[in-house]
Amino acid sequence: MAFDWSTFTLEIINFLILVWILKRFLYHPILRVVARRRVGLEKVMADAKRIETEAGALKQQHERELAQWKEEKEAATARLREELAAERTRLMAELEASVAEERERRRVLDERRQSDFKRAVEEQGIAQGAAFSARLLNRVATPELEARLYALLLEDLRGLRAESRRAVADAAAAPGLQLKVQSAFALDAARRTELAQALAEVAGKVLPIAYDENPELIAGFLVSIGPWILHANLRDELKFFSGALRHAGQGPVD
Amino acid sequence: MEDAMVLFRLGPLAITSIVVTTWGVMLVLGVFSWLATRNLALDPGPLQTALEGIVSAIEESISNVLPDQAQRLLPFIGTLWIYILFANLVGIVPHLHAPTGNLSVTSGLALLVFLSVHWFGVRSEGLRSYFKHYLSPSPLLLPFHLLSEVTRTVALAVRLFGNIMSLEMAALLVLLVAGLLVPVPLLMLHIAEAMVQAYIFGMLALIYVAGAMQSQQNLDRNEEGGEA
Repeated sequence: MAFDWSTFTLEIINFLILVWILKRFLYHPILRVVARRRVGLEKVMADAKRIETEAGALKQQHERELAQWKEEKEAATARLREELAAERTRLMAELEASVAEERERRRVLDERRQSDFKRAVEEQGIAQGAAFSARLLNRVATPELEARLYALLLEDLRGLRAESRRAVADAAAAPGLQLKVQSAFALDAARRTELAQALAEVAGKVLPIAYDENPELIAGFLVSIGPWILHANLRDELKFFSGALRHAGQGPVD
Repeated sequence: MEDAMVLFRLGPLAITSIVVTTWGVMLVLGVFSWLATRNLALDPGPLQTALEGIVSAIEESISNVLPDQAQRLLPFIGTLWIYILFANLVGIVPHLHAPTGNLSVTSGLALLVFLSVHWFGVRSEGLRSYFKHYLSPSPLLLPFHLLSEVTRTVALAVRLFGNIMSLEMAALLVLLVAGLLVPVPLLMLHIAEAMVQAYIFGMLALIYVAGAMQSQQNLDRNEEGGEA
């Protein structure tokens, strides 16, 4: 095997040219595109890392917000329970007050109803008592009882107090005044004269008297001197008695 | 193995069939590279994926030996691997001979390796610092260092030449003796041997260059070991 210098020299030159050709058309283009892809991948990796970091931060923020919302929810629930308890207490107090007020109102109504019922019963009793008394007095009303009441009339006229006498005198001073005397039974002349004298003494002067018979008086007299009226009969006494009873019955209740 | 046939002459240079074959290999590789890398895309097709895989594998192999010098050594070492592989495989084609089966070719490649070792060594370590390692650990060892440089270069050339030449010769002998289809297993062996020899030549070149580029570091490590 002979050594050929021409081949040796040309082989060196050829190889160096091939190095340049492959460097120019193979290595550099391939390495450039690989580098570009690597840069792209690094950018994608960096973006992915950044996104992962952001996602982690968002996740942590979300967890913090969840924890905060949970605390707020628990606080709000606690506040709501307290408000509900307070509202329940307030409503219960209002209800109890309303019930107490209603109970008091019903108690007052019951008492008033009982009082009215009692008063009605009393009035009914008084009315029945007055009716029974009037019926009884009608049966016992006689001229003798009339005479007794006549004596009491005279006694009352003569026993009037000074201020009563002045009031009668003032009433009698009215011009054109006529006295009216009503009696259950007819008065005889003697009693009329005696009564006129007694009235003249009370009025301080003689006044004309009109006599009238009124059986409703049951027994006794009704003397009118202007606005001043003297009751001396059983009907008015019964009325006074009934009024006194009613007044006595109403006093403690009202 | 007969001498390469001289096809024509360019002045003092005789253009043999080996040189023409080398040009053919260069033409094929150059045109293929130009066509394959015209429209590279970020989303690669099958061919671009294969090319990227090959280049990345070469770069990765260099990085494993010299992590910071892969880009710098890729053109030289990569071209050694690719060219020797294709030059070895050309022998399979009928009527063609592998250029690497010629001692002149492998000697030229070995000389380029020899020169590149010192070129990269001086550029990396500096002239003084690089040649200083020939005197390490003792100036007495300088002849042995020089002898080593020569012998490993010769070994590079002879190893590749001997293996490829012997493969072709063995295939020729088997073809002459046994018949037409019998050398087929031998051709399969030729393919494997072509790949192995290309890898060995390129890897040895890489190791020599790496040794030269890291000579100062090796020297410092040896001195530290001696002091310890």
